[in-house]
Amino acid sequence: MTQIKKSLPYIIAVVGAFIAAGIFIAAIQYNPFEAYKTLITTSFRTPNGFIQTLMKWVPLTLTALAFTVPLSSGKYNIGAEGQFLAGAIGATTVGILLADLPPALLIPLVIIAGIITGALWGLISAWLLYQFNINEILSTVLLNFISFQLVDYVATGPWRDPSAGAPTTIAIGQNGYLPMLIKNPPLSIGVILMILVAIGIYFYTNKTTSGYELVATGANPRAAKVHGIDTRKMFLLSMVIGAAAAGLAGAMEVSGVQHRLIEGIHSNFATLGLIIGLISRGKNQAVPFVAFFIAVLEVGASAMQRTMMIPSQVVLIVEALIVIFILLSDLIKRRQK
Amino acid sequence: MEQTTILQMHEVNKTFDKVKALDNVEFELKSNEILGLLGGNGAGKTTLMNVLYGLYKMDSGSIILNGKPITIPSPKDAIAHGIGMVHQHFLQINNYTVLDNIILGTSVSRPWTADRKKEKAAIEELCKRFGLEIDLDAYIETLPLGVRQKVEILKALYRGVNILILDEPTTNLIPQEVDALFETLKIMVKEGLSIVFITHKLREVLHICDRISVLREGKNVVSLTRKDATDEMLVRAMVGEGMDLQKSVIFSESSKRVVTTKKETVLQLENVSLVNADKINVLSDISFEIGAGEILGVAGVAGNGQRDLAEVVMGIQTATSGTIKFLNEDITHSSTKENISRGFVYIPEDRLADGFLHKASVAYNLILGYHNLPPYSNKGIVNWKNVNAASREMIKKFTIKTTGPDDAGGNLSGGNIQRVMIARAFSQSSKLMVAHNPTRGLDIPSMDFVYKNIFEHAETGMATLLLSEDLDELLLISNRIAVMYRGKIVGILPREKFDKYAIGRMMSGYDQESK
Repeated sequence: MTQIKKSLPYIIAVVGAFIAAGIFIAAIQYNPFEAYKTLITTSFRTPNGFIQTLMKWVPLTLTALAFTVPLSSGKYNIGAEGQFLAGAIGATTVGILLADLPPALLIPLVIIAGIITGALWGLISAWLLYQFNINEILSTVLLNFISFQLVDYVATGPWRDPSAGAPTTIAIGQNGYLPMLIKNPPLSIGVILMILVAIGIYFYTNKTTSGYELVATGANPRAAKVHGIDTRKMFLLSMVIGAAAAGLAGAMEVSGVQHRLIEGIHSNFATLGLIIGLISRGKNQAVPFVAFFIAVLEVGASAMQRTMMIPSQVVLIVEALIVIFILLSDLIKRRQK
Repeated sequence: MEQTTILQMHEVNKTFDKVKALDNVEFELKSNEILGLLGGNGAGKTTLMNVLYGLYKMDSGSIILNGKPITIPSPKDAIAHGIGMVHQHFLQINNYTVLDNIILGTSVSRPWTADRKKEKAAIEELCKRFGLEIDLDAYIETLPLGVRQKVEILKALYRGVNILILDEPTTNLIPQEVDALFETLKIMVKEGLSIVFITHKLREVLHICDRISVLREGKNVVSLTRKDATDEMLVRAMVGEGMDLQKSVIFSESSKRVVTTKKETVLQLENVSLVNADKINVLSDISFEIGAGEILGVAGVAGNGQRDLAEVVMGIQTATSGTIKFLNEDITHSSTKENISRGFVYIPEDRLADGFLHKASVAYNLILGYHNLPPYSNKGIVNWKNVNAASREMIKKFTIKTTGPDDAGGNLSGGNIQRVMIARAFSQSSKLMVAHNPTRGLDIPSMDFVYKNIFEHAETGMATLLLSEDLDELLLISNRIAVMYRGKIVGILPREKFDKYAIGRMMSGYDQESK
């Protein structure tokens, strides 16, 4: 009963968002029911649709965790984009330089390189915060811009693939490709890695004393400090863990999907990750589920655009409305007190 | 003098969330009287008076002033009806003078100039009449709390109130100031005012009030004149039937415990000083020691460095100079975490900021600081089964009103948050307790419970540093009392030399400045 009562605001928010967006769809002369049918069912009608959904699910979950893990300690990491790209650059670099290594070595190296470069990118902001108390929102956002230029530099530099139209590097060594779970349509083991990471983070935050300190820090840093918790260390740690998740997402996008660094490889994952994090209300364990729901919408959106000519941006409207409605329900709850 | 009833409140009800704060309360005030509104914390005294002053809206009930029913939607209306209230926390503008603070919000005779001669004369007249000596041109921020309270009373008098409500007016006053306040109140009554005196202190009520009305858990318990009142009756009325007075620390002589045998020294401070970020000397040259089983009380007007002292001992701040020793080990530079594992526990003063995680569950709160220790965790993994079991036990033992370990911290009231902090502190077998106003917001049986727990732990050798603004509390349970004034210890008195007035003098810095 209480579970239903607790989830009621979310259900209302989601339904409300769909209704509001439906009015909009009707206003631009399309049938909202048809549109929603495509939106929701595309992921489940064909194997291809389902696998596309899973492929989106992987980076969305990880970039959302990059936001929610630091949020558990009360810090806002808006730099998942930059950390994702740093991870992608790290993975590409190792994948090209050590292309001749056997798969058993190269695959782990590519992935670990991505995790480390992503984490290091986050560490810059975390260290600035730790050492000089520089606002992490500013530093993470600004580092995003630097990462765009870095990708540009790598993709147009000596590793440039001259046959590609857009700035793109040559492919990493084939031995560095993530193994496939299914050949056609292609699905790599990245989805399994992502699930393991999500479980690992859940275990860390909910079952370990370090995770306890993380949550306590987020709940009231002053009280946590008074009771012996090194809160600055927790800020640093949570930022780095989040950044590592984003870096892993970047590495897997290179090693499991594109096999090279492409300008724009980050797509809109980080923005959606933020939305997912907000819909999850910062709860790490809710992130994979919300991310799956958003992945379904994203895949449905492209189908909707293809088959019905409805602009896929409609889905962004739906997603944004869900966030707004959920925030609104918080406001109402507070008012009632 | 013939006394007539001037104010009545009938069947007043007020509910907060699900808590019934006032339950069919009756209230009566006569002309020319000081009425003591007595009760423990959470009894509903302040709530009832806030209703009368227009700060809260009652759910049902009526107010009759001089025979006519009235409504009081806001404090402005209350003042228009001649009802004024002095709260525990003053609303004053620090960088304004006393005069400006008093006339602020009233209409003045010459609004276009800064000439306030007429107002000043009127206020000076009031000061003389009521024996309130105040320099009207002094800035508020330079005044001690006792004087600021007089300003607040003058504010009400200047607005022409004839009913004055004082909410726990003696809380931050030293005994000398309390006496002066009582003199003023007596004059005011003679001049025709009626006064409601909200307090939880029995002795004050018996000392000054003409009539006494006791509330408990939002209900009227008893109303009687001072002639008919005895200690015993009032105590019983305040605490209810559930408490065994014979075994209580607060009311029974035989339960008081004085440790005289001094064993090993647990905590020792030598010339400890602290300069804060603003380069202000918040602690200077503090030296004392506490033996095993001993309770060292620290008295002082709020804001004289007590909090910094507590934090330096706990390792939350590091002393700028001097040495702190724990069982002869130098711990001056130890972290809080290290100190906690040595067996330190801390009940911070500011429970909202320093003591509680609102956004986390009750269980999270109950193990804060001890989460690294068994049985709560083992090798970095939290054992939630043990945590929840221990939490349920603490909730029961310390009567914390909550739905269970998973309840959100934000759902707890102030008194219950205090209980969580107390439960957390006493859940450990500790060697040193630093307790800062540990009983603030607790009702009398809970206060008694806290004292008993301190004694029990002291029995096992725990040393206690008790910092409190409640002098009665310090006098009741301390073995020695150190008095703080402007970051210094101005004196330490052993129990046989306890004297309220002497301590009051030291608290006000009188001894210090005359040297």
